[in-house]
Amino acid sequence: MFNIDFNGEFAAFFIFSAIMIIGAVLMVSLQKVVHMVISMAGVFLGLAGMFVLLDAEFVAFVQVLIYAGAVSILMIFGIMMTNHQAVKADPVKPLHETLAAIAALCLFGILFYAIRTTTFPDVQPLQGVEDNTFSIGELLYTGYVVPFELLSVLLTVAFIGAIALAKKGAD
Amino acid sequence: MLPSYLTMAAILFCIGLYGALVKRNAIIVLLSIELMLNAVNLNLVAFSKYGVVPSLTGQVFALFTITVAAAEAAVGVAVLIALFRARGTVNMDEFDEMRR
Amino acid sequence: MDHFTQTAWLIPLFPLAAFLLLTALGRSYRKAGVLIGSIGSLAALVMSLLVLFERLGSDAVDYSNSFKWIDFGDVTFRIGFEVTNLNALMLVIVTVVSFLVNVYSAGYMKKDERITVFYGYVALFTFAMLGLVLSDNMLIFYIFWELVGVCSFLLVGFWYAKPAARAAAKKAFIVTRIGDAGLLLGIIVLFWYMPGHALDFSNIHNVFNEGQSGAITMSITTSIALLLFMGVIGKSGQFPLHVWLPDAMEGPTPISALIHAATMVAAGVFLLARTFDIFEASAAAMHTVAYFGGFTAIFAATVAIAQKDIKRILAYSTISQLGYMVMAMGLGSMTGGIFHLFTHAFFKALLFLAAGSVIHAVHTQNIHEMGGLSSKMRVTTWTFAIGTLSLSGIPPFSGFWSKDTILATALDENPFLFAVGLAAAFCTALYMSRLFFIVFTGKSRLPHSVEVKESSKVMTIPLLVLAVISIGAGFVETPWNGWLGRWLTGGAEEAHASGAAIVASIAVGVLGIYIGWLMYGKSSIERGVTSARMPWVANVLEKQYYMNEFYAVAIVKPVRGLGKGLNAIDEYVIGVAVRFIGLAAGAGSRMLNRLNNGQTQTYGLTAMIGLVVIIVAIVGRRFW
Repeated sequence: MFNIDFNGEFAAFFIFSAIMIIGAVLMVSLQKVVHMVISMAGVFLGLAGMFVLLDAEFVAFVQVLIYAGAVSILMIFGIMMTNHQAVKADPVKPLHETLAAIAALCLFGILFYAIRTTTFPDVQPLQGVEDNTFSIGELLYTGYVVPFELLSVLLTVAFIGAIALAKKGAD
Repeated sequence: MLPSYLTMAAILFCIGLYGALVKRNAIIVLLSIELMLNAVNLNLVAFSKYGVVPSLTGQVFALFTITVAAAEAAVGVAVLIALFRARGTVNMDEFDEMRR
Repeated sequence: MDHFTQTAWLIPLFPLAAFLLLTALGRSYRKAGVLIGSIGSLAALVMSLLVLFERLGSDAVDYSNSFKWIDFGDVTFRIGFEVTNLNALMLVIVTVVSFLVNVYSAGYMKKDERITVFYGYVALFTFAMLGLVLSDNMLIFYIFWELVGVCSFLLVGFWYAKPAARAAAKKAFIVTRIGDAGLLLGIIVLFWYMPGHALDFSNIHNVFNEGQSGAITMSITTSIALLLFMGVIGKSGQFPLHVWLPDAMEGPTPISALIHAATMVAAGVFLLARTFDIFEASAAAMHTVAYFGGFTAIFAATVAIAQKDIKRILAYSTISQLGYMVMAMGLGSMTGGIFHLFTHAFFKALLFLAAGSVIHAVHTQNIHEMGGLSSKMRVTTWTFAIGTLSLSGIPPFSGFWSKDTILATALDENPFLFAVGLAAAFCTALYMSRLFFIVFTGKSRLPHSVEVKESSKVMTIPLLVLAVISIGAGFVETPWNGWLGRWLTGGAEEAHASGAAIVASIAVGVLGIYIGWLMYGKSSIERGVTSARMPWVANVLEKQYYMNEFYAVAIVKPVRGLGKGLNAIDEYVIGVAVRFIGLAAGAGSRMLNRLNNGQTQTYGLTAMIGLVVIIVAIVGRRFW
């Protein structure tokens, strides 16, 4: 089932995945909100490492910048702006949590079963291109220029919208 | 190696889903959703290297996803801030407007 | 030139239109209601007479017309009408009696609050009866057959405030349904075995005409005939399903005259005549019919001797006379049966309407509380006397001729049934003279407060009309002139004529009346002569052979017990189960309602569980 040769890539994969799983589990199980965000940042960084393993250096870089940097900081700001000092003793909903855990586990089981039973074609993996960033830039400005421009519009709209939403209440 | 990456993505996705369904703090719910999106990104990039037709397209799509996710996070946090001003809380249990 | 025959389908539509109009108008238009009902039946009467005259004029061929109703694969059901000489005769009988009853009811029902409802029901009944007469196939026939049953139910229970009327209506409906179930089965069997699944009367006639045609086996023919005869037993009040007819007298008296003497109860005999070929094809069925008829005739006639209620006497008399008709049919004389139906319809309607006139005047139905009415109610007395003489079979009144036709047939075919018929004729004369002399002669036993007056013109004129018909109607078929038989059967049936039958029939009629006069008119024979010597005989007769009691013990009680048992099952097994289901649904909904708490996460969880279940359901098939 696991016919893996123990090379360097596997060792690195193992380390990164360990970091990510620990970070994700901590994110779910920690009590303080800020701790959760920090463990989440660990997950983001681990993922960036995994991107490097997959020869996607530019995406890994973006991941570090956007997620580990911007989104985490945004979330911390969000927490700070919304967190009332009182950490209320939340009413426990054991049934809900158990059911959610069972459902998530079932879903994972199904996905795992699907992944394991699928036979992937044995093709030559993509060799690391000379300049990953250059190639992606070329692709973005040739084949994917329209989606790229649309995304820029989306970002602008989201930016204006976020400001408008956050500002409205301040009046 | 592909199944290992896909399994990893599935683990991340399921944890994110669990967090989105269970966590009470709306910010953490947003964070869990980011986690699920990250799992998707991992899939995209893994397929870009090991997929049936290996190409850079997967990475480009991962970039797009990251962009949209960033926009989503920004708007989400803005909405939560507005909500907090209105209701004084970001506890998911308090938001039951859909009942009415 | 059969212009009117072709438009015969219009005849039932006049009463139907009257019914719809009356129902739409409501109860407030009392005068208009009477007028509408009467005009509807008058129009039908005129049309029917035109059709009859047209058919009298020439040797008219049977006319039928129909359109397609439903297609089931190869089978087609059609709706249509058929005019034969028999149908034309029935049309006239029904419309004449219906019209006269309409006129009569204007007086009899004058003070009733729901007179327009009454007229509506009568119009509906007339429509149904005419439809039954005109129908060209068994299916349509059956529909109208049930429709007249419904009208009978409605009209018997017309005074539904009286518990007895309610019970009688239910009894009439349920008991006739037993016979109707047999009829329906008979139609189904017929449908199954007929070539091409044809149900129309002309095909039935063709298939069964030449005795046993081979298309249908003997045993099947016999069972079809006997099943159809069950319907006759129910509708025409033959033994053992006769018990509803005396109780049906709880309805208004004009209804008794129209439905329970002249028309609806004759529908059974009419059915026998319509499907006569089936019966003729099976000797066993013919014998059964004849013996049932003969037994009913003597049975009901003896019961009638001991009854006290004027309408019950007439009801048992009707049963007895219907028995005569059925017996005639069973003996192979369709002419005799239909002829007696024809004359009986008029003189029995006359007797009922006259009895209604009496009841209207004295407000009681017990004959022992009447007496000496002849001086005060001349028209009623004379017309009742004509009816009595006709029913008793005294020449030249119409009843004599028809009864004589039957007896002459019986003498030729089956001497035993001839004897039974004679005995029944004697009893008939006896109970009719008893009735007549107790009610109309002697001293009045009424309380002095009751002022007896002759009924109004609107009630006596129908009596007079019916009296005239009762005298004259018999001459269409006499021993020396078999016109009716030739006309009805196309000459297929030769008239039975026998001097012995005439003499015997006159003799028992006169003897019966004479004894009745001695006992109740002149009182030279002590009235209580039988009840003193043989009290049990009088008792049994007065209790109508304990038939009702027998049914109560043999059928009603076990059925009621079964019903109680089933009710217990319903209450304790099904009821509990139902309540459990209700509670479970309530609990389930409360649980589900908790899911609808407005929280996104709960919704998300539900959707997620649903997703997992769907995937498991789809993927899981791999494993089994």
